[in-house]
Amino acid sequence: MDFLAQNQLYIVMIIVLAIWLGIYIYLFRLDGRVKKLENQIRE
Amino acid sequence: MVLKILLGVLLTAVIIFGLGLPMSPHPQAWYELPVIPGLGEKARIIFFHVPTAWLSVVAFLTSMVYAIAYLRKRDLSYDIRSSAAAGLGFMFCILATLTGAVWAKFNWGSYWNWDPRETSIFVLLLIYGAYFSLRSAVETEEKRAALSSAYAIIAAVTVPFFIFIMPRIMTGLHPGAKGDPEGAGPVVEFKMSPNMRIIFFSSLVAFTLLFYWMFTLRVRTAQVEAHNHQRG
Amino acid sequence: MKAASPPFRSFLRSAGSVFLKDWRSELRTRYAVSALLMFVVTTIAIILFSLGSEGASPDALSGMLWVVVFFAAMSGLSRTFVMEEERGTTLTLQLLASPGAVFFGKLLFNLVLVTGLNAVTVLLYGAVIEGFVIRTMSIFVVTVILGSMGFAAAATVIAAIIARANTKGTLYPVLSFPIVLPLLLSVIEATKKASDGAFFAEAAGEFQLLISYIVVVVVASSMLFEFIWKD
Repeated sequence: MDFLAQNQLYIVMIIVLAIWLGIYIYLFRLDGRVKKLENQIRE
Repeated sequence: MVLKILLGVLLTAVIIFGLGLPMSPHPQAWYELPVIPGLGEKARIIFFHVPTAWLSVVAFLTSMVYAIAYLRKRDLSYDIRSSAAAGLGFMFCILATLTGAVWAKFNWGSYWNWDPRETSIFVLLLIYGAYFSLRSAVETEEKRAALSSAYAIIAAVTVPFFIFIMPRIMTGLHPGAKGDPEGAGPVVEFKMSPNMRIIFFSSLVAFTLLFYWMFTLRVRTAQVEAHNHQRG
Repeated sequence: MKAASPPFRSFLRSAGSVFLKDWRSELRTRYAVSALLMFVVTTIAIILFSLGSEGASPDALSGMLWVVVFFAAMSGLSRTFVMEEERGTTLTLQLLASPGAVFFGKLLFNLVLVTGLNAVTVLLYGAVIEGFVIRTMSIFVVTVILGSMGFAAAATVIAAIIARANTKGTLYPVLSFPIVLPLLLSVIEATKKASDGAFFAEAAGEFQLLISYIVVVVVASSMLFEFIWKD
């Protein structure tokens, strides 16, 4: 508990990083899926 | 692809350095951020709050430019771009409002104070809300595109008046506004140390790249959708 | 004006006849006048009841005046365009008159309507509400005139948009508020100055703002109107 209280900022940082990573991966997968659909349409 | 990787690296770095670097009243080493009087650790939100506010304005302008393009060319793909930009702008506008309100709670003591910039972003939120309720009210695609484009342009034309009106009506609480005891002027110029400025501008670049990526994604999905719709 | 070219003169004539058409139909039905008058009376009565015997500060009262004006204008000014859609006369008008003529005709009609409405509202408000005192009449008169012009300008385009969107006015206040807000804020500010007894020159900033707002909105909406009006 003491560790958490002293390093609040780093906890925040880790949470923000996790959120950002989630968004980043989500965008990459979305990009891939849209590309697949676009290729289907072109064929 | 290069841009996407650059975005990933940049924003990760901004998060790590912006939140992770220690603050000290007399910064010595390159990694120490200065303490801005009156802000303290709360100043870190500037790396995230300002870019979202910046993007909500950029998105609004993008939407307006494509609205003009639609009215000139009558090509529905411009309308797709215009509404995609507006949708993202709405999202970033909400994010800017929320981050700002949380920060205001800890710095000024309440979530909402009708500071000039709070009022302006409130108006921007209202405009985005009105724009989308107008869009949802019209069935025909061409009509929806024309009417919402016209509305976006009218709104964009009247918004600049707030820049002149706001300072007359109330003094600002915002850092860098006229009422700031630390002095008026852009915070970037006189309160940030070079290392803070680097993080700040990388964040601006990263968020703009993020906006661009999300924008193209939205446009592409909308185009795929429109294509499927046409074929029934 | 002397060297008006023939196309300009015919433009004026057809704008004038659009105005006259609305004017005559208003005289026949008196819809806008009676409905708006009742609206203003009701709103002022509500303000009176809610104030009770307690007086409000002159600043709050001068803000409240424009609340009445805003909602009265928002309930009445969409009428000109919504009426055309309801009667199904839009197509006829599209064929007979150029979009510019329709726009300026309707703008003129709304201007007359809102100026009359504001005159009545202000007189009634000043007579009934005690704490509302105007010390500098000149500022107040100019504010009301410029405010009416601004309301008419902004309300006309948005009325056209919502009429074409077939939403019958539910969206009207939603769409207008962000557009009208700069106007509303500076008008309220000028009214406060008038009730504080400031010199005429002190309100010059507000007047400049109002005038530039009117010019910008009229120019932008006359350019956009063609796209809204034609399918």
